[in-house]
Amino acid sequence: MTDIPTDVAVLDDDADFAASVARMLGRRGFRAQGHVLPATLLAALSAGNIACVVTDIQMGDADGFAVARHVRRLAPATALVFMTAWPTTSHAVDAVRRHGGLDYLEKPVDEGRLAEAVRAGIDWSREAHRIAAATASLTPREREVFDLLVRGHSNKEVAARLAISARTVEDHRAAIMTKTRTNGLAELIALSRDGV
Amino acid sequence: MSSGIQRRGRGGLGRTLRGADVSLLVAYAAAFAALHHVARLWGGSGYFSLWYPAAGLRFAVLWRRGVRMTPGLMMAEVLTDMATGLVPWHGPEALHDIAGACRSSLVSGAVLGALQALGARHPESALSSPMRFGLAAILAPTLNALMVVPFDWLFPRPLVPSQSVPALMISLSSFVTGDVLGILMVAPALLWLTDLADAPRPMRLPPARDVAEAAGVLALGAAVTSGLAHAGLGVQAAPHLLAGAWVGLRFGRVGAWFAILVQALMLLPWSAMSLDYPHRLELHLGIASVVVVTWIAGTFTDAQTAARADLDRRNRMLFQAERLKTLRAMSVAVIHEISQPLATLAIEASHLNASCAGLDPDLAESAKLVDRKARHLSEMVRRLRRFGGRDVDKPSPLPLETVVRTARQIVGPELLRSGSRIEMAPIPADCIVQAQEIELTQALVNLLRNAITASTRADPPATAIGLTVQSDALSAAIEVSNAPISHAAAHDVSNGMGIGLAIARTIIEAHGGALTRHDGPDRVRFVVELPLVPMAIA
Repeated sequence: MTDIPTDVAVLDDDADFAASVARMLGRRGFRAQGHVLPATLLAALSAGNIACVVTDIQMGDADGFAVARHVRRLAPATALVFMTAWPTTSHAVDAVRRHGGLDYLEKPVDEGRLAEAVRAGIDWSREAHRIAAATASLTPREREVFDLLVRGHSNKEVAARLAISARTVEDHRAAIMTKTRTNGLAELIALSRDGV
Repeated sequence: MSSGIQRRGRGGLGRTLRGADVSLLVAYAAAFAALHHVARLWGGSGYFSLWYPAAGLRFAVLWRRGVRMTPGLMMAEVLTDMATGLVPWHGPEALHDIAGACRSSLVSGAVLGALQALGARHPESALSSPMRFGLAAILAPTLNALMVVPFDWLFPRPLVPSQSVPALMISLSSFVTGDVLGILMVAPALLWLTDLADAPRPMRLPPARDVAEAAGVLALGAAVTSGLAHAGLGVQAAPHLLAGAWVGLRFGRVGAWFAILVQALMLLPWSAMSLDYPHRLELHLGIASVVVVTWIAGTFTDAQTAARADLDRRNRMLFQAERLKTLRAMSVAVIHEISQPLATLAIEASHLNASCAGLDPDLAESAKLVDRKARHLSEMVRRLRRFGGRDVDKPSPLPLETVVRTARQIVGPELLRSGSRIEMAPIPADCIVQAQEIELTQALVNLLRNAITASTRADPPATAIGLTVQSDALSAAIEVSNAPISHAAAHDVSNGMGIGLAIARTIIEAHGGALTRHDGPDRVRFVVELPLVPMAIA
């Protein structure tokens, strides 16, 4: 578990503000780094220790939502928190629904709320990594069985669809439970819904 | 007098008479009898009178007290006529004469009620004040005359043979002439007097120059008429008509009424002489024309004056609204500009406050104060943003010319400071976009602001910023151009350039448009493309 990311990256084209937020988060116990350019953030993300990205939405030539899409592609288990000095309802909705943001903060930001969002983001990232790790150990066939089970199909239906015996499905199901440390179909479904 | 006429009669026929109305009706009956008697002076063979001031009295009461007075007036007139012997109490002609006595009030009340209802339904039409009074003054007598024959058919006179058609026409035209003259000469004066009694106010005499002009014009008309009469051409009303139109157009209804009074005083004595019927009728038709034209001219002038005053008032309100909108756009821009540095300041102030907790009390107090003020300012910015935000800025058809003009005003001080200038071509008037005005103005302000900053840092220095608007059938393109920034300055981001561009792009895309950059060899060009609202909709 030591390789699960815990760092926070703050992206804002105002270098002073990015540094200020990073320092503020540092004082609250987070390991945070400020970034001015999306490229340096994405490079840091590739290094693999960022759990949460706090990004401005409108930055000079860059678009915070475009950065969010890159982050999702590069590291799906990274939490996103958005900030803006130009809040709009449509942006707020997009931030949460389309880009999976945990919060949408208006500048000047509320420190407590930002810290809370970052903390929730790191927790979410940790859980996402755990789920990703759990499902990553499944074999391709187990993954197929897993996908059908969490969609509500019975063992018989899974067997019919995959052209295998019901007994084999039961074996796969037991293996999936063991690997994902779940106990029953309800937890499996919960795992699939929390997963990234 | 004019305000008295503008105050429209209240109440409908359905309302009952009030206690105060009874005393009014008693006074009305007495005045009606007197005026009816006076009218006999202008009577003749085959007609009752060519000047009937009692019609003016009736009209004034209905106008001021409302058409609900109609039944009361009918009753008062019938009883008066019976008391004076004009209408028999009984006998074969009683029903006919009573119906005839009721007819005038009934028709006048119906005309006023109809015009009142139509005016309420179409407030911007010619049925609105002050034209309604003029229309009612002409329509009521005309309809009253037209109802004579139907009433005679419903309530025939058994002992009197029917009139010949020519005799009937002469009688009815005299009837209309007498009532129109009576209404236009008496009703305005009565309404003015009652208005003055309701709300006493100091008399304001007209300027002597105006009085002299009106008197001169009327005297000229009288002189020409007199000259024509002495030349054996008869009493011609045309010179008076021109004089009355002049006075009415120049001085409104008050001037028109005095002109009518003067002209009637000059012309009516002619009709009191021994004239044969055709000449008298011709003279009175001429007088009626003079009175109607003079009154309509005065009414038209007053209506025009009122419309001009209303337009001035609306223009002032519009100017005020424009200023408020500009102010709001500026406040939104200011809020945005300060929120970014304030966000940093608030965080650092909070940290400073926490760090100074155990230090020198004076230092700690200062840090605490700075933190409190920063938090207060942050809350104020959030509140102001909500106040000036887009919730109050609904999308509406908006001329691009307005957007450009407002944006130009907002960046005016920055232009002055930087020594830059905006070179603009005329903006097509048909460029209408569906937009939130504050936001779109903000987008253009941001582009202009960036262009101003870039111009000051160009190498060689350049001060001209280009701003053009072009359109085709479907879209408009606003181009903001400036000299390119120098290579050395390109890496200096201390002035915050770029933020405005992102916001401008967001706003423009939210309006269904696009912001693109088309650089030339010596110019940086940003082009805002926006869809136009079809003219039929705009």
